[in-house]
Parts: sequence; structure tokens; C-alpha cells
Amino acid sequence: MEKRVQAAAIWLLMLLHGAAVAQGERTRDKMYQSIVGAGCFRRLNGTHQTGCSSTHAGSVGVLHLIKVEADLEFLLASPPSPPYAPMIPPHLFTRQNLLRLIEAGPKNISVVLLINKPDSMKQFSHELNCPNQYSSLNNSETCDASNPATSWNPWGTGLLHEDFPFPIYYIADTEEITKLEKCFEKFNNFEYETHALRSLCAVEVKSFMSAAVSSEVCIRRTRFINNLSGSKYCDPLEGRNVYATVYPRNIKTDDSEVNDIITRERFILVSCRLDTASMFDGVGLGAMDSLVGLAILTQVANLLRQLLPPQSSLPDTKRNVLFVTFNGESYDYIGSQRFVYDVERFAFPKASARRAPITFDNIEFMLDIGTLDDIANIKLHALSGTPLAQKLLQQLNSYAQSPRYGFNLNIQSEMSYHIPPTSAQSFLRRDPRFPALILNAKPANKYYHSIYDDVENVAFTYANTSQDFTMLLDVSNTKGFRADSLQMKVRNVSSIVAMALFETLTGKEYTGSKVANPVLSDEFFYCFLLSADCPLFKAASYPGSPKGLPMPPMRYVSVLGGPQESSGWTYRVLGYLLSQQQPKIPKDNCTVLPLHYFAGFNGAGECRLTTQNYSSALSPAFLIDDYDWRSGNYSTWTESTWSLFSARIFLRPSSVHQITTLSVGIVVLILSFCLVYIISSRSEVLFEDLPASNAALPPPTAC
Amino acid sequence: MDFSKAPNSRKLQLCRTYFYAGFALLPFVWAINVCWCFEEAFRKPPFPEQSQIKRFVIYSAVGTLLWLVAIIAWIITFQTNRTSWGATADYMSFMIPLGSA
Repeated sequence: MEKRVQAAAIWLLMLLHGAAVAQGERTRDKMYQSIVGAGCFRRLNGTHQTGCSSTHAGSVGVLHLIKVEADLEFLLASPPSPPYAPMIPPHLFTRQNLLRLIEAGPKNISVVLLINKPDSMKQFSHELNCPNQYSSLNNSETCDASNPATSWNPWGTGLLHEDFPFPIYYIADTEEITKLEKCFEKFNNFEYETHALRSLCAVEVKSFMSAAVSSEVCIRRTRFINNLSGSKYCDPLEGRNVYATVYPRNIKTDDSEVNDIITRERFILVSCRLDTASMFDGVGLGAMDSLVGLAILTQVANLLRQLLPPQSSLPDTKRNVLFVTFNGESYDYIGSQRFVYDVERFAFPKASARRAPITFDNIEFMLDIGTLDDIANIKLHALSGTPLAQKLLQQLNSYAQSPRYGFNLNIQSEMSYHIPPTSAQSFLRRDPRFPALILNAKPANKYYHSIYDDVENVAFTYANTSQDFTMLLDVSNTKGFRADSLQMKVRNVSSIVAMALFETLTGKEYTGSKVANPVLSDEFFYCFLLSADCPLFKAASYPGSPKGLPMPPMRYVSVLGGPQESSGWTYRVLGYLLSQQQPKIPKDNCTVLPLHYFAGFNGAGECRLTTQNYSSALSPAFLIDDYDWRSGNYSTWTESTWSLFSARIFLRPSSVHQITTLSVGIVVLILSFCLVYIISSRSEVLFEDLPASNAALPPPTAC
Repeated sequence: MDFSKAPNSRKLQLCRTYFYAGFALLPFVWAINVCWCFEEAFRKPPFPEQSQIKRFVIYSAVGTLLWLVAIIAWIITFQTNRTSWGATADYMSFMIPLGSA
């Protein structure tokens, strides 16, 4: 018995040891050390390709750290051992420098590494000066790229719309940067003249992109019937818009279409942007450029839901508020273009939602929440100074300036073609008389559409109050938030907007003291900027459903089959905040939409009557047969497919070394042939006693 | 089968069949014919059917050559113009390169 135990113990020990020692790594991969980072990839529109791609086998370059601008000169003036891979900190990642690197050609510069050392960074925006210029109103006044005073992103370099002949890899982690710098110091950073003669630390980046030329070409090739290999070249950018209403709409019972279309419902459309953009895959939170707007929309939704009386007691009982968050707006307004396209065709909401279609006649006006970089400088934009715009402006200002609430804000107005790049552009392009009003602040975001538009850019600190965020608070109760904190700014702006809408809907001035709850903003930003495993997302999910990942949800629109995290969470949050609690319905009966069971703030679970839903955010360009890709009518953005992103460093031998190895190999090959020939021709000497090989078999016997 | 061992009439018949088969847009059949019958047509001591075989071999060789010239010309034209022809060239292709025009 004891022996058996001993044997078992030995076996166990061997197994454990084996598990610890065993490695699946191939010998040829042992010379590499991998580097974790994010890659720049290729996007295409109807006419161009933008972004980066490596060569098919992976691009290799010798590491060279750029500390000051002068370091670039070494690489650009016939470097000794090309190609090189400059490691550039963000403050030197400028349009001018990048264009010089492109000009140097892939023979000299094969890879560019962006290292996360933002100490000297003053600005970092690679969007155009006029975002979405070609899908906005075609008017010189709307945006002038050459004039920083009237452009909507004065700090933009437009690099997001350039085509790079080399891969760009972003390395965020300090440890990885140290690894690279150490390797550079040890092997490369001395005696530059002898670079060609010695082994150098090099990086290999693999990010090969399948698509090329333009969306027209890659979509044609993907749909192509002769495509024997079945390769997919690119996918259209595609996501989901999320919408919800303050009051539940009637469920359609009969199928008669006439009744459906002519409803007397009147909607106030409140909208904002759901997505953001950046140069690198999976990085970029869009904190200031679109998350602030989404936070305000969420707060306004929560406020109106709780402040408004039942629909039947409104002066006009057919009035409602439709909240829509548009996805893919960063790429030529994908979501709003599709929304307009659907509404024109009586296809919004989609048939499966079983609600009457909404037409443009049903939309009373649109209030679009744009980028609110600086809340002291908010303007109400409209194409012309209609009575509607004047009235709303006056209402907004009456609450913004009211001593009763002490918001102390002044909302200015601008009634001209100088309209910010927001979703309303899609509506105004269809019909310039569409009553669209846009709340937008003077551009102040130096990190618009970049990886640095993050927690620090909006100066957010999580208070983690663990208090009920759904309740409305008295205006004097700030829950300890400082007046200049992000939470309070969002509270103030959203309260003003909600009060103005309240007055519009009820026809009465808002006289209550309840305003938005800064704790809701606190929780909202925590979820979207720091961790999806958060109280707000938990409350808006089914009780006991899997927790969110401990990282912020991805907010890039992505493609079909992409993560769609941001729209999923927004759907739940809007669903939760814009629904009515149904205390009488037990959990078991709360299974069929519009009834939905939420965990709620305390996690106890509550049945609620919901109104939220998705609508497709796929550009109509991909629905229309024989769409003219050059027409510019709809967004044509696609994303190339790729098989992997990887980066690794290794010691690249000098070219002398490589040539020697190859020559030795060729010599050995030739020698081996000669040797085999000699041996074979003298085989009788070596194998004296053996008969010749062809004599080994006896001849077949005749039958 | 071992061609050299076949009777001369059979050789002629095969050579003729291959020559005619080549007209079905099969230049490789002509090329095979040239290789296969070359010995019989030009190297072997004369026999009655040899002159006819010789003729078929020469015709097949000319056909092969014409095809070769035509195909090389087409390949050069197609490869140099593929990107500028755009969609038309794509519809002619079975394999489209990844990551380039």
C-alpha cells in the first residue's frame, strides 16, 4: 500500500514538474520577445484607403529612439543600416514629422512605434479640421479647415485620413517601453557609423491588411462570385443605434398600413452620438468628444421620466420624447444617415418592434447634443432663427440664469450655416428646413478622436458614493461634488435641458427644486471610462447576469460581429432609466418585452415597462444596389480584414553576417552534391561485397 | 504505352488524333504531340508513315508556338494593365491579391 502511495506521489510530482517546464514555444520563435500594444489598421471609403498595413510577412525595422526633433534627421539623411523603426513620443507625432517619414520611403522607414510618454504633449488630435466635411452641409460657412476660428477641430492634423506605407504600433505599457529602450541602448545607441557591421535590436510588426484601394474595390471583391478562396477583404462599419421614448408607445395590433402611418403622435427628438474614433485598434474612449453628450442625454432622460406627469395629463396627449443615440457618427454619420433613410421609407422603428412607423411629420423638432467641451461656452445652433429656436433659447436661458438654481450659465445662439459636425447635419442635408437645434460648445478638446481623450482629459475622479443614483436631488444637495467637477457640470447642463423640455411639453414653467443627480453622472462616467463592472450597469442588467469586464466598453462602431459593447450597455441603461416600475407584476410574468426585469439599484430586482430598442446603423450605401460610391450621398466607410496584430523585438544580424550565413549554406549544399556524386560513383569500392542494386531482384519467371 | 514499340500505322494514327484534338483549344496536346513523336519523325530511320508524322509534328509545333506567343502577350498585357482595368480585370480573375490594388 505504501509503495503505491509513493509511486502515485512520484507520478504527481513528475506531472506537476512537467506542467511547469513544458513549453509550446517553437525553437525558431525563441529569439523573439513579444511587445504588447495596439495597431493602426486600414479603413477605406468610396475613393481612398487610409491607415496602415505591414508587409505580408511582417515589417522589420531597427529601433531608434526619437527624443528630440533633431533625432529624426539621422533617420532621414541616408541612415547606415536601413530600414529603421523610429520610436516616437506623442509630442513629436506631428503631421509634419509623419509626412517626412512617409517621404523617406519604406526602404528607410519600415515601422513607426508610438510610445506612451505624454509628458511634453500639448495636443494630439488626428481627426480632420472639419470632421465629416464631405457628408455635412455643402456650404463654405459650415466649416473652413484653413481658418481655426471657424473650424470644428482646430488642433486636428488629419493623419487619421492619411495612408501610411508602414505599420504604426502604439505601445501604452511603461514596462514594454522600458523593454524597447533597454534593447535600443544596449545594442543600437552607440557608434552609429558601425551599424551596418553589427547586430542591431530590431522590431517586427505584423499587421497585414487584406483590403486595398477603396470600399468600392474591396466590397466588389468580397461579393465577387469567382472569389474561389472565399476571402473577405473588408466589412462595412456597422453598429446599432439605441432609442427609447419617455412614454411607452402603443403596440400595433392590426396590420392595416394606412392607420399605421397617419398617427397623430408628435415627437421631440433628443439625440447624441454614441461612438468615437481613434487611430489604434481598441484604444480610445472619446471621453470629451462624445461621452459627455451621452451622459447629458442619459441624465435628461432620467429627469424627464421622473418629472413629467402622465401622458394623458399633458396639454397635447400625443406628445412624446424620442431619445436616439446614433452610432458610427464619427464616420460620416452612419447612424443618423440610416435613421433618416429609414424614416423616409416608413421603416423606423423596424417591423419587429410592432410600433407604428415614425415619419418626419411626426417629429416636432430635434434637439441634438453635440460636443460640450466647455460648458461656459455653449451655443444653440440652428440654420435660421425660427420662432421655435428663439423660444427654446429663451427657455434654456431662463433656467440657466435663474438665481433659484444658481447654474449661472449663459447659452448663446448662432443662427447660421456654421453648424457643428453632429447628427443634425444628416437631417439638414435632406431638408434644410428641418427644425434641428444643436447644443454645442466652442471646440476646446485638444485630443479630439484620439487615444488621449480619456479620464484625464475630462478631469474625472470617481467619488464612489454607493448612493442611489436614480433619485432626483434637491438643487442644494451636491453630494459633496465640487462645483467645477465633471459630475456637477453634467448635472447643470442636463437639468437646464430637461427643464426647458419640460416646459415645452407641459406648457408650464418648471418650478420644482429637484434637479439631476450628480451621482448618476459619477456612476455613468465610471462605467464608460474605467470599468464596465460597475453599479450602474449592474442595476440595468437582469439580476445575477454576468458582470461586465473590468475595463471600459469599446466605443468604436466596429463591424458586424464586433463587440458592440457600448450600444449594448447604452440599451440597458436607457432601458432602465426610461422605464416605469410595475410593482404589481411578479418576476415570473415579467418576461415578454416591453416588460423587462432589472436588478435595480439595490439588486433586489424590479419589473419595469420599457421602451428602448435598437435600430440598424449600417450605411444605406451598402443596401442600395449599384450605389455610386463616388456620389458622396452616404457614408462608405469599411474596415479591412486582417489575420493578426503582433509586434516582437529581436537581434537582427548585420547584413555582412546574413550574407556570410547564406554563402556558407550555398557552399555546403554544393559540397554535399559533389560528395554524394563521388561516393555514388565509387560505391563498388565502399560496398565491395554487395551486388549491384538492379541485380538484387531476380527476373520474373515466365508462366 | 511505349510509343516506340507500337506499329507504325498506330503511331501515325495517334499523331493525327493528337494533332486534330489540339484544335479544341488545347495547345498542350500539340506540345505533347511534338515531344512524343519527335523521335519518330526526325530521328528514326525512314519508314512509309514517317513523312506524314513529320508533317503533323511540324504543324503541332507551329500551333504550340503561336499559342505560346499569344499567351505570353496576353499575360504581359493583363498583368501590366490589371489595376487600371479595375472591375473588368477583377471579373476576369480567379485569384485576387490581398492588400494591393
